[in-house]
Amino acid sequence: MTHVVDVRLHNDISDIGIVRDTLDNLAREFRIPNRALTQLQVALDEIVSNVIKYSWDDGARHEFLVRITVQPDRVDLEIFDDGTEFDPMTAFLPNHAPEGRPRPGGLGIHMIKHLVDRFDYERVDGRNHTTLSKTCEVGSPEE
Amino acid sequence: MNALSIGQTRAGGVCIVTLSGRIDSTSASDVMAELTRLISSGEKSILVDLGAVLYLTSAAFRALLVATDEAERRAAKLALCNLAGHVRELFEMGGLLDVFAIHNSREDALKQLGGPRAP
Repeated sequence: MTHVVDVRLHNDISDIGIVRDTLDNLAREFRIPNRALTQLQVALDEIVSNVIKYSWDDGARHEFLVRITVQPDRVDLEIFDDGTEFDPMTAFLPNHAPEGRPRPGGLGIHMIKHLVDRFDYERVDGRNHTTLSKTCEVGSPEE
Repeated sequence: MNALSIGQTRAGGVCIVTLSGRIDSTSASDVMAELTRLISSGEKSILVDLGAVLYLTSAAFRALLVATDEAERRAAKLALCNLAGHVRELFEMGGLLDVFAIHNSREDALKQLGGPRAP
């Protein structure tokens, strides 16, 4: 069983709600375990908000694609956008504010790396393609 | 679904802000606005109860960090309580457990903040 859903969003922060609800619905339908769902929702918010904030700087409305793929042993989140080349894995180096407080700019990326099992980026045909993958037992009856 | 809601109660001199639902990129600004409004209005002890929060993203942590800094600037105290399950894990993941004043329960927090016992 592989179930693929494509969600088209615009670079408007409120559009995150659309893909968040889609993931929730898929979690209910395919019984994605709760803990994995929470971790996927946080990672999804981090990566999609990054695309919205950093991929375009012309003030215009742009569309991009989030693809959610549910498989028996994992859930993949893929983001395709035609904005500025932006590798989230190297965009923010780990850093700390002088007084020891984490600088939130890199915190989201730091969290993604801990939340998912695979975090890849490639630039293909002028588009950013970011993949997050979470290993989990989809369809397990206990949750 | 599970949208953020913000409630407010008072225990003596402590203003208790109860957050529930998801705090993400779409809602973190509401949390920041409410906390900075309370601090600007002169509240000196604010306790944020996260017991009913489903999850937080870095936007939420940013809001809490900004509010904590603002509280310090105005000689006010801002503390968090009731971090459970997934929420505590996210604080741990972000290396943020030592950054905030965190209490296990409202009762513990109110003792520290100098308010009366929680109802």
